[in-house]
This record gives sequence, C-alpha cells and structure tokens, in this order.
Amino acid sequence: MKEWLGLVARLVTGGVWLYAGALKLSDPAQSVQAVRAYQLLPSSVVSPVGQLLPILEIVVGAMLVLGLLTRGAAAVSAVLFLAFIIGIASVWARGIEIDCGCFGGGGYDPNASEKYPWEIARDAALLAASVWLVTLRSTRLSLDSRLFAPRPSPEGA
Amino acid sequence: MSKKNQQLRAERAERAAAALREQELRERRRRTLMVGGVVAALVLIVVAGFLINRARDTSGDVNADPPGVGEHGLAIGDADAPHTIVVYEDFLCPVCGQFEASTNEDLEQLAEDGKAYVEYRPFELLGRFGDYSKRSAAAFAVVMEKSGPEVAKEFHDLLFANQPPEEGPFPDDDELVALAVDAGAAEADVADDIKGGAGEDWVDAATEAALDAGVNGTPTVLLDGKVFQEGRTWEEFAEELVAAASE
Repeated sequence: MKEWLGLVARLVTGGVWLYAGALKLSDPAQSVQAVRAYQLLPSSVVSPVGQLLPILEIVVGAMLVLGLLTRGAAAVSAVLFLAFIIGIASVWARGIEIDCGCFGGGGYDPNASEKYPWEIARDAALLAASVWLVTLRSTRLSLDSRLFAPRPSPEGA
Repeated sequence: MSKKNQQLRAERAERAAAALREQELRERRRRTLMVGGVVAALVLIVVAGFLINRARDTSGDVNADPPGVGEHGLAIGDADAPHTIVVYEDFLCPVCGQFEASTNEDLEQLAEDGKAYVEYRPFELLGRFGDYSKRSAAAFAVVMEKSGPEVAKEFHDLLFANQPPEEGPFPDDDELVALAVDAGAAEADVADDIKGGAGEDWVDAATEAALDAGVNGTPTVLLDGKVFQEGRTWEEFAEELVAAASE
C-alpha cells in the first residue's frame, strides 16, 4: 500500500516539477528576472540561478516520475521546495509584491500578497511529499526497482 | 570417522559462505558503478542544459547607441563626461517607478557633477495593458520638442511620481496636459499636440529602436554601453551605479 502511495507522491511531485520547469524553459531571461525580483540573492548569483533552475526542475521531475534514484531526487526536490518557501515567506514579510515565478512569469504583481499563503501551502504539501519519499525504501513501477534490484535471479531474467 | 565428516561439512560451509560474500561484493560493486554512472549522466544533462539556457539568455546583449546620438532620448549632463548612462524605461512599468524613486536624484547628481552623461529613453513596452504606455511617452515627446529638455526632464519625473497602477485607471489627456504645465510647459504649446497624439510616431520609432538594440525589459540601464545589474534592491543598485560612475 505504502509503495503505491509512494508512486502517487512521485507522479504528483514530479509532474509539478516537469510542468514548472517546462514553462520556465522557454524564456531564460524572464526566469532570471523572476529570481532577481525576490531581492534576496547577490546580483552575481542571480543569473546562474535563474538559468539553472528550469533544467534542474525538469531533471528532478523526470527522475521522480520515472522513479530513477528516487530518494536522491526527492531529497533535491525537498531542498528546492524549502528554498522556495523561504523565498516566498521572505518577500511576503518584506511587503514585496511579486509573482512567485513558480510556473514562468515573475516580477511585479499587485495582487501577490493574496496568493502568498496558498503558494506556501502548496509548496509545503509538496515538501512533505518529497520528505516522505526520501524515507521510503522503494515505490511501485520505478526504474530503481528494475535497475538496482538487490540481486539478479540466478535463472536469469 | 564422524570427526572427518564434521570437518568436511565445515569446509563446505565456509566455501559456500565465501562464494556468497564474493557474490555480494560483486553485486555491491555493480550497483555502485550503475548509480555512479546514472548520477554522472544526470549531472551532465543538467550542466549542458544550464549552458544552453545561459546562451539563450540574451538580456545582457544590448547594443545601444551612446547618449546624445539618437533622437529617441533625453540627455542630461556634460557630453564629455567620463561615463555614459542610458536608461530604457516605460512610464507605466511599476518597477521603473521603483527604479526612478531610488535613483532619480543620484543620476541627476552624477550628471550635474560631470561624472556621467545620462540619457533617458522612454518607449512603449507595456502596450498590452492599454494605451497609457504609448500616450504618456507621446506626451513626453511633445513636451521635449515644444518646451525643451529641462521641462521634459521635469515632466518625466512628474510622470513617474504620479504613475498609475499597471492595470489602470489611467490619467486622461487633459491630466497629462496639466502635468506638463506643472513641469513648466506653456499650455498653448503642448495641449493640442498631446491631445491629438502628435508624439505617437516618435514613440513607434523609439520603440523600434529599443527593440532593435536588444532591449526586452524595463528598466534596462547601461553604464558605458554595458547592461548594469548590480545590487539586490534598487537602493543598492543606485549605490553601486554611483560608485561605478564615480571611478
């Protein structure tokens, strides 16, 4: 049962990453602007982070959906969600109104503070799912269980 | 007799255990190699994707004329100053409003002290939010033509100080005329042209020039021809820009 729930957690979390990363991939300049709008990172780091995030999100998403190195991917996913929660909480606390840039977009948004609580809740739920996946030994329908099965059967596959 | 049997059995058990250990070791080595290979491949994909993405980010490649050359800007300060600063902006863009609030006086000071030759280049970036982006820039063009650069600079500052929200409601043409008069323009000089949209061709040309130069966001600031993006906040940006232009 747990293994099936693990599959669901993988597909949901990984699906969100794939979707978010794909939307950001089309416009790297905008992705950089979205990071800059948080006014958190030093300017020398803003561009690399904005250019790295889309591809990182897609790879982590694909790993989770396929179940490839699931626990490692889930750990990276958890760290990213934690960072995003801190980022959104920080702009909220400082009264900066920006689109979180979670799914493309980014920059100034006059109605942003109404959306922050829901965005943090969503990321917290996905963070919880990621952390739970880290603790699971294995999940259903994963590449891990095919590639890294404990021992190949002597009769051959 | 039984002692010998016992010994044989023990030896056999030991051989079996050794074989098992050997197999486990091989198995572990195989797994480590595979995991390592997969991790290496994934890292390679991320690095390659990052580099491709970086090459696709052309926001730093702006190839704009220096101040005082083109016809689409308002230059202030000494043309022989050691540094040049070019500012592309849209009167409707909220971030430009924040930028102006933090940097306006610093740029004025740099121009006044002869440290930098500064040019403001308004254009229409946010046409998708309605007509104000174009209308305000067109009014600015009229004021610059009819009332001269000093009044135009004051009008520019007033437009940002009275900036409407991005989604409206927007000031109408009468309010723009009133603002131009506040800036020092004679109403008779500018009122008809502002209301008649006489500056719109100028805005179209300025917008085309900005897009041709590679500007795709506002504010875009160039110091000595290079996109300047230091500092986390606009306050820090202003400090860094003043520091860099004072060298």
